[in-house]
Amino acid sequence: MNQMIERVMRRTDTWRGRHSQWRGHSLPANSEGHGRSGLPTGYSALDGQLQHGGWPLDSAIELLSDGCGLGAMGLFLPAMEKLSEQGRWQVFIAPPYIPYAPLLAARGIDTRQVLLVHPQNREDLLWSTEQALRSTTSSAVFSWLGAHDYRYSELRKLQLAAASGDSLTVLFRANGAARQHAPAGLRLQMRAYRQVHILKQRGGNQGISVDLPLAEDVPQQPQLWELPPWPDNNSEQPPALGAGSIV
Amino acid sequence: MSLWLCLRFDQLSLQCLSRSEEQAVAVLVRQRVICANDCAAALGVREGMTSAGVRALAGDDTPLQLLERNIGAEQHCLDQLCCWAYGITPTLHKWREDCLQLEIGGCLRLFRGLDQLLAEVANGLDSRGYRVHYGLAPTPKAAWLLSFAPRQSALAIQLPLVERLGPLPLSLLDTFSGTVASLRRAGLRTLGEVLALPSAALGRRCGLEFSHFLQQLLGQREDLQTDYQPPATFSDAFWFGYEVKINGELLPAVQLLLQSLCRFLRQTQLRTTQIHWQFIAIDHRVHELCVRSASSHSDWKNWYQLTAIRLEQVQLQAGVEGLALVCRQLCPAQPDNIDLFGPGRQSEPLASLLDRLRSRLGLQAIEQVSCRDEHLPELAVQLSHDLPGDGHTTGTHCAQRPFWLMPRPQALRQRHNRLYWNGPLNLVYGPERIEDNWWREAVSRDYYIAAGNGRHYWVFLDRLARCWYIHGIFA
Repeated sequence: MNQMIERVMRRTDTWRGRHSQWRGHSLPANSEGHGRSGLPTGYSALDGQLQHGGWPLDSAIELLSDGCGLGAMGLFLPAMEKLSEQGRWQVFIAPPYIPYAPLLAARGIDTRQVLLVHPQNREDLLWSTEQALRSTTSSAVFSWLGAHDYRYSELRKLQLAAASGDSLTVLFRANGAARQHAPAGLRLQMRAYRQVHILKQRGGNQGISVDLPLAEDVPQQPQLWELPPWPDNNSEQPPALGAGSIV
Repeated sequence: MSLWLCLRFDQLSLQCLSRSEEQAVAVLVRQRVICANDCAAALGVREGMTSAGVRALAGDDTPLQLLERNIGAEQHCLDQLCCWAYGITPTLHKWREDCLQLEIGGCLRLFRGLDQLLAEVANGLDSRGYRVHYGLAPTPKAAWLLSFAPRQSALAIQLPLVERLGPLPLSLLDTFSGTVASLRRAGLRTLGEVLALPSAALGRRCGLEFSHFLQQLLGQREDLQTDYQPPATFSDAFWFGYEVKINGELLPAVQLLLQSLCRFLRQTQLRTTQIHWQFIAIDHRVHELCVRSASSHSDWKNWYQLTAIRLEQVQLQAGVEGLALVCRQLCPAQPDNIDLFGPGRQSEPLASLLDRLRSRLGLQAIEQVSCRDEHLPELAVQLSHDLPGDGHTTGTHCAQRPFWLMPRPQALRQRHNRLYWNGPLNLVYGPERIEDNWWREAVSRDYYIAAGNGRHYWVFLDRLARCWYIHGIFA
């Protein structure tokens, strides 16, 4: 009997009472993991708001944005760079375009680890995501689930697969999914330029927006939108545009 | 000290043909019973009976199966058993028609003692469902003779050999039937009585061959036999005995065959990159399925997963009665380097995920990216379906490059002097001129970063065609 209780307690998604004496840690009652630390995001403002100070590795992260998360990859570049040391696959499932290899290389990511998977249909997409999550050979799995509708059970399957492994799991979904219930431990939404909104965080703060300060970007290699400070001549319309319109 | 273990499969001729326990089965040679299963023995069927006698015993209402002896099938079974026994000792050979002789004196330490070794042997034979008699002795011929003795004396190696052989009847030596008959006329019945006679006199009366046999039996003369050599290719089959229509029901047999393959590969220090499944239909048509892997290995779980993925996609036309696994291309194994001090997160080789994805989605669906030393952005990315070479260069001149690159630039619309791509765009940074490819088709572009709709795009003006294109998206 004790073994059964222990097994249930060892699960990371078991809710526990307020004054949990279990292994003497003092995290919030339903917090994820037992002293498991997150993967630093590379943005101190975001780290501060996330449980364990970084991306959770034992749960899926849902990222909701327009354009299927095209504009949000910059959030994960520092994490990808860190995971690159492990020498395991970084799997892109159904990526909308080609990741620009020279940029990845310049950011210290070994491009030989990047695997692009192009499934033909929705079933194959879910299947390959689960395969990549269950495999011990992947350190990061980015899956563009797109604007399809997914049943809760399908997403739950992915969440369980993510919880069983130790890879960074990011599921990109459309903004419309924000209204639906989802099993992911962390749900984020990109609402504005350099602003992340935490929709849901199990055992942590939620419903807050985090601004990502420009100052934390690596000089010459800005992290988020790759935009260096532009000399203040915005008013001046580049002449080339006019030239183009003549033709 | 050499120690021989004789495995005598006295029901081999029956068990290689039928494993039925519910039905009475007897194997016949020239209409005479040579072997019968327990059910038939319960009916009173004995060796040497005629087929008519057996039918009369069974009566009309009892199901009875009479099979003709198949020596080819027996030898095939014995070959498979050799293959299995090769995992216990490298020194073994087939003996007579139904025995294996294993030299186990050299591998007692590997198995940590005789008891563990015998337990391992019994375990392996149990799972194959063969009835076996054991005999243990310092010489192969004595081991064979002792396999007819009661179990206590057959395994009692601490006792002197002559004492253990003594009670065995002379009739066991059926290759010397003439000699045995004349000895019996002289009043000798057991082996002990013959061994007590002076050997020189015995040799004169019974011939050189018989005295050589006795010398080999007692270990006084060399008994040389050719050792079993494992075959160069692997082939094994599983017969269901009934028709299988659902692919999922094949999986237990798949697992069994793969385990047998991987045992073979481990023992012979070989590996393979592809295996062939043969589905043998009821009408003996064979449907073949090839499963490939990017790296050669001998891990059965990996092959099992790959096969299961392929089986999900294959629709078998007819019911399957047998499943065969064939491996024709084997290559020498290179030992794996296992990281002793690593964190141990990764429990399988990198290629295994690649294999699984490829086997379901196809070779074209998996790509890898690498860098090329090219000026034009679209040429600087290389996509390949195979493992790219060592194209890992650290780009130094890509400060303002987008994360996503479109496979080919797409033309931008212009209206009222503004660019449109899902809404109006503003150029916020640039230009950066990229010119290249003058020797073939000159390209001259001014790249800008454009903002619009909350995102940033990489757009360019083709200076030769005077057209605007979008080429990438910043992330």
